[in-house]
Amino acid sequence: MGVITEEARRWADREYPPFEMQVTATDIARFAHATGETNPIHFDREAALAAGYADVVAPTLFTYVVRMHASALVSPDQLEPDGSPSADVPPLPTRRAMAGETSVVRGEPVVSGDVISVRKRLASMYEKEGRSGPLVFVEMEFTFTNQRGDLVARENFTRIYR
Amino acid sequence: MSALPAVGAESPIQVRNPSALDLFMFSASSWLLHRIHYDTPFTTEHDGHPGLLIHGPLQGVYLVQTAESWLGDQARLATITYRHLAPAYLGDSLECGGTVTVADDEGVDLELWARKPDGTVTTSGTARFTRR
Repeated sequence: MGVITEEARRWADREYPPFEMQVTATDIARFAHATGETNPIHFDREAALAAGYADVVAPTLFTYVVRMHASALVSPDQLEPDGSPSADVPPLPTRRAMAGETSVVRGEPVVSGDVISVRKRLASMYEKEGRSGPLVFVEMEFTFTNQRGDLVARENFTRIYR
Repeated sequence: MSALPAVGAESPIQVRNPSALDLFMFSASSWLLHRIHYDTPFTTEHDGHPGLLIHGPLQGVYLVQTAESWLGDQARLATITYRHLAPAYLGDSLECGGTVTVADDEGVDLELWARKPDGTVTTSGTARFTRR
């Protein structure tokens, strides 16, 4: 008998609203500092222009920041006790969460001033028996486009509940 | 055509030792609110971990940075897939490296990993870098 209930299966049919984030040089600098980047193209407009970008350019995996805002920029009463956005957490008896697999297909770079749109959908939900009990895998797919409609990235992220 | 590394070539190892400040900055910069990266009592008492976890996505960034600093401006990340095989905790030292598995006219495929000094791989992945 699995742990994914009918209620959880109905939950999986939900649709997520589209989300837009206007990316600033501040957003880019924060993420760049947090990940130890030192290349001035992430901090200094002149350096970015000299390198052929339209403005300060984001580090490679910056779309992570956009998708986290798409999920977690909600009022605190819409968060689980562990801080996870409630809208992302299926109704399951297994609620301790960890990151599983991430897969990214990269398109155009993100620069300061871009407006990045995210479309989010639940791609799959399945369970496996782990060493310490059932594990439920919830895979979300995110598609990022910029204000010109160019693909910026597609990212599939699987969260594991145990 | 610039020279990308050949099949079997190994990247220099990058050692990453994220501090509590680094973990906080990563959570704050991405608005990642999950308590297991900053709330020690919750992490140990509720989730049963020995300490704060180093974010999986931060380890993904480490893999990309390891490859980017090796390949330089010659190539650009096209795709990457990585998965977390064992938890990494605050205080762990992560040795990050990679090796070339495919080299062709368009670019290279890499295997990338982050491991603890005892050899435990915490994150492993594959990536495609294409020539600029």
